[in-house]
Amino acid sequence: MSAIASVSIAVQRRFGRQNLRKFFLGSIPFVVMISLWHMNAVFDWLPPVFIPPIGEVWDAFFILQEDCKGFGAALALDQSCLMSTHILSSLGRVVLAAVIGLPFGIAFGVLAGMSRPISKILEPIGIFANSISGIAWIPLAIVWFGVGWMTTLFIMLNTIFWLMFFNSMMGVRGVARVYEQSVLTMGGSRLDVIRDVYLPGAMPSIITGMRMSMGFGWRALIAAEMIGGDSGLGFMIFSSAEEFKIEEVFLGVIIISIIFMATDKYLLAPLEKWTIHRWGLVWKPT
Amino acid sequence: MPAKLVVEDLTHHYPDEYTGESVHALEKINLEVQEGELITVVGPSGCGKSTLLNILAGLLPYREGLASVDGVKIDGPGSDRGVVFQEHAILPWRSVAKNIGHGLELRGMAKDEREARVKDFIELVGLTGFEDKYPHELSGGMKQRCAVARTLCADPVVMLMDEPFAAVDAQTRITLQEELNRIAIATKKTIIFITHAVDEAAFLGDRCFVFSARPGRLKAIVDINIPREKRIWADLSADDEFITKRDEILKLVREEVSVAVEE
Repeated sequence: MSAIASVSIAVQRRFGRQNLRKFFLGSIPFVVMISLWHMNAVFDWLPPVFIPPIGEVWDAFFILQEDCKGFGAALALDQSCLMSTHILSSLGRVVLAAVIGLPFGIAFGVLAGMSRPISKILEPIGIFANSISGIAWIPLAIVWFGVGWMTTLFIMLNTIFWLMFFNSMMGVRGVARVYEQSVLTMGGSRLDVIRDVYLPGAMPSIITGMRMSMGFGWRALIAAEMIGGDSGLGFMIFSSAEEFKIEEVFLGVIIISIIFMATDKYLLAPLEKWTIHRWGLVWKPT
Repeated sequence: MPAKLVVEDLTHHYPDEYTGESVHALEKINLEVQEGELITVVGPSGCGKSTLLNILAGLLPYREGLASVDGVKIDGPGSDRGVVFQEHAILPWRSVAKNIGHGLELRGMAKDEREARVKDFIELVGLTGFEDKYPHELSGGMKQRCAVARTLCADPVVMLMDEPFAAVDAQTRITLQEELNRIAIATKKTIIFITHAVDEAAFLGDRCFVFSARPGRLKAIVDINIPREKRIWADLSADDEFITKRDEILKLVREEVSVAVEE
């Protein structure tokens, strides 16, 4: 057997044929896009002021981080560490908004799913809040909170909470009554029903809600940072564009996408696998 | 000896889900169930037998008449009355062992003690080796075995079963019926078993309560004098007592079905 064949077999064993297939097929559009991007520089189709060469975008990352005085300074969001400060402030807001917004959204959603009166109170205001897309609140948020952290956080929370609320509510409403009855007839309390039936039963919806709200929340954050922020990746691409630093705009957009894809793949997708896939709550072809 | 479960003059109406019209489901039901008895309840569809079971389970509030267990009025669900539902009411997000131990967990029993008890019941229903499987990995028959064990393990005073074997295939149903008989011998539980299958009612019941068409009344009680040890399909299908009683129940039910059809 040739060396190539044995390497190929080892790789297939290690990662699995299906996973490799998925990876290769999924990367085709990216390969095409990057090739075209590179060919643009080689053949001079569009000037670098519109589309910078790949190398420049790559270098921009290190140029922005050039003056940084070490790891500690980066973590302290020191202004000298421009690149890491933008990334970390966006990430920090996402984490903060998730830590506040997701549990509250789930809690109110579950309550509304269980109780008709509560859902009657909260549903209309929820539809009202959802009718205005998250970013439409930016002008008002700037008036209230000024430019900075509070405005971006407010925009994110507004997006995350209501999406999470509606998804959790629908999830609880979809749980078969018989599960609740089964716990009640074994002497379980309302609290037992919430913990053992509503929360796990609503999990498919809750996880969909998390993926949706983190997706929309992340997008809303970028928009909020552009207009109402003083740091972060959204702020970075907006201010760089104003200064015609096109390579920084490209860099910002790429980092935003990579962070989003990584969160979904390494945080939310595994969560889905560990809960609803294990419990057989998703439809799978047999 | 006082009866385990008593129903006196129980009458029930409920509003129809779509039309809102009042449905007269049960009319003056009077019955007594002794400790350790296995009672089967048959009747035409819509005769209120499931309504009765829901009232006994405490899942349906009632106003007229009285239902009590050990002299205590039934008022809401409680761990003294376990239910095996028609749909497999085992929680998809709990493994077989955790489903079966759920009742004990809700009661706050220590883990070691609970696991020992769960193990016994897994053996009783023949699910050894499947402890860590999730419900979606089980066959229909195994799911219903798990549901029976889930209810039994919580050690209720009375076990209420609502057409539990209706959704499984014929072969599995026969096995499950024989297994339930074996469980009844082993645990001496008081069981009320609702069914629309006359064969099943005659096979399992110490006594069979036949209900009339709506409004449901207790039309007749058929005693089936066959020792539990002798209740095996291979022997029973040619047994005189079984055939006589099954035909008697069938006749009683068919009279009611024709009434229901004429209406």
